Amino acid sequence: MTEQLSPGTVPRHGPHLPWQRLGLAALGAVLVLFVVGPLLRLLFLATPGSLAEGFRDPELQASIALTVAAASVATLLAAVFGLPLAYLLARRRFRGRRLIQALVELPVVIPHPVAGIALLLFLGRRSTVGGALASIGLEVVSHAPGIVAAMLFVSAPLLVSGAREAFAGVDPRLERVARTLGDTPWLAFRRITLPLAGRGILAGAILAWARSVSEFGAIVILTYNPKVASILIYDRFTTQGLPAAVPAALVLLLVALAVFGLVRWLQPAEPR
Amino acid sequence: MIRLEGLTVRVGEFDLRDISFEVPTGGYGLIIGPTGSGKTTLLETVAGHNPVRAGRIGLHGEDVTDLPPERRGIGFVYQRYYLFPQLSVRENIRYGLVRGPLGPDVQRQRVSELAELLGISELLDRGISGLSGGETQRVALARALAPRPSILLLDEPFAAVDPTTRHMLRRELRALHERERITTLQVTHDFDEALRLGDLVAVLADGRIAQQGRPDEVFRYPNSAFVARFIGTGTVLSGTVERLAAGDGTPFAARFTSGPLSFEVIAEREGPAHAVLRPEDLLLSRDLQPTSARNHFAAVVRHVERLGPLTFVHLDAGRLLTAAVTSASCDALGIAQGAGLIVTIKATAIHLV
Repeated sequence: MTEQLSPGTVPRHGPHLPWQRLGLAALGAVLVLFVVGPLLRLLFLATPGSLAEGFRDPELQASIALTVAAASVATLLAAVFGLPLAYLLARRRFRGRRLIQALVELPVVIPHPVAGIALLLFLGRRSTVGGALASIGLEVVSHAPGIVAAMLFVSAPLLVSGAREAFAGVDPRLERVARTLGDTPWLAFRRITLPLAGRGILAGAILAWARSVSEFGAIVILTYNPKVASILIYDRFTTQGLPAAVPAALVLLLVALAVFGLVRWLQPAEPR
Repeated sequence: MIRLEGLTVRVGEFDLRDISFEVPTGGYGLIIGPTGSGKTTLLETVAGHNPVRAGRIGLHGEDVTDLPPERRGIGFVYQRYYLFPQLSVRENIRYGLVRGPLGPDVQRQRVSELAELLGISELLDRGISGLSGGETQRVALARALAPRPSILLLDEPFAAVDPTTRHMLRRELRALHERERITTLQVTHDFDEALRLGDLVAVLADGRIAQQGRPDEVFRYPNSAFVARFIGTGTVLSGTVERLAAGDGTPFAARFTSGPLSFEVIAEREGPAHAVLRPEDLLLSRDLQPTSARNHFAAVVRHVERLGPLTFVHLDAGRLLTAAVTSASCDALGIAQGAGLIVTIKATAIHLV
């Protein structure tokens, strides 16, 4: 008979004295205020007038549409190429698994302008890959595909790790049971693993999408024009000053908050 | 029929080596072994989840060694059941039928028939999260049986339920097996279960079969100290065998010595050996009894363990021994902790391995 320890057996609160707890809370409060403060300051600028101005601005409209479209394409590509990889990383023990996992997560630590430079060298017209793509009519640098490439590079790790964790959370024995009930590997995946991992995969995809929408550093090097929203905000700020940048910044902030809310809602509640 | 021939499997760092075992059609076989001995791996291999390195798996005369699990016609119930959490009880049971050849009406009928058989009809429309251990077990069994598998594999199916439910489920399963005559292979770590359920048992130790045969035979005549200890045949003493009379016939009268204890035994070979003393073969008395048995020795009662009509008396005779007596004779002899007793055992009752 094996006894399993449940995660609930660890006390949630350490044996802290009241003054210690107060000190911890004070330190934490500083950081929370530092995060919330600037965002609230920006949100307080949101008057019906400034928001309407933002939403009516045709250049901003086009730029947000471009951002959303490019981020969606990048997320789709990350899903098509990343989900099989995430499944393999979660399910199979093969030589080099840890190396591949590390490689996939590498973009997280690379400064984004560095990623932009690397992508420019790799996908530029004079490079082998970029030249080949150009010869089939796919211009990357300084065109919309460049935006997608930059977004894919920085956001794919989020989707892959999210999906990998979601797949790992589905006990392989559920699939094995499905197999003995007549399912082929693909059917067992589709009927059991995918539905059970679905929320986690979706949360990873939304995080990747949000990361794409917020990307600036890599895109600014690869494709300044057409301008995605973050570049438009930067452009307005440097050429016309702060007041001109605020409506665009507000609109982008609202989009980000909506996505954040969606992800929090999709994530399963923390175990108590 | 399940026929395993020289099966060798490696999963991660774990090896199953040279497993040969056969359960006849309609039979009930048990694999018993301690945790980590490879029982579940063996069962999963029969189901087709692990690549086979050597050997063959035959089901009803067909070599299925290279067939994927979905083409083996096997029903599988895990210890933790693994019901599909996103589906209702009904959808769980119907899972294996949905893509089968049966029409929706026949499927529905099969589901209700099984639900009735297992007494879970009123659960069909529930989700699986609120089910009790026994209910979960019945749903898992119904789900495995729905596509009418010809082979049923059970991985410790009673380990996760309380003893009362376990006894009930055991009886039901045995009855179900009698009714459907599905060739069944079950894994357990509880030899009692093997004695109650199985036609055949294989004791698995560290990836190998240590012994196999009819459960009562294995219980009475364990072939090694490991098997004797694991299935709880009795006290296992290690010592040496010396031939008593000259000659080279077998079996021969011999003396088995283990530290301060020494018995007359019937042996087949000399040298280091283990003696298995079954609790029911140790006779207890207050004084020396004139019997034909020649093995008598004094012992002190260390601990008395009453289990209803049966009482286990744990004795110290230089080695620790366990005797079983009826609770009535325990009272008649006035057996209590610290009491001195005479223990008698026949030479023929001592099983050497």
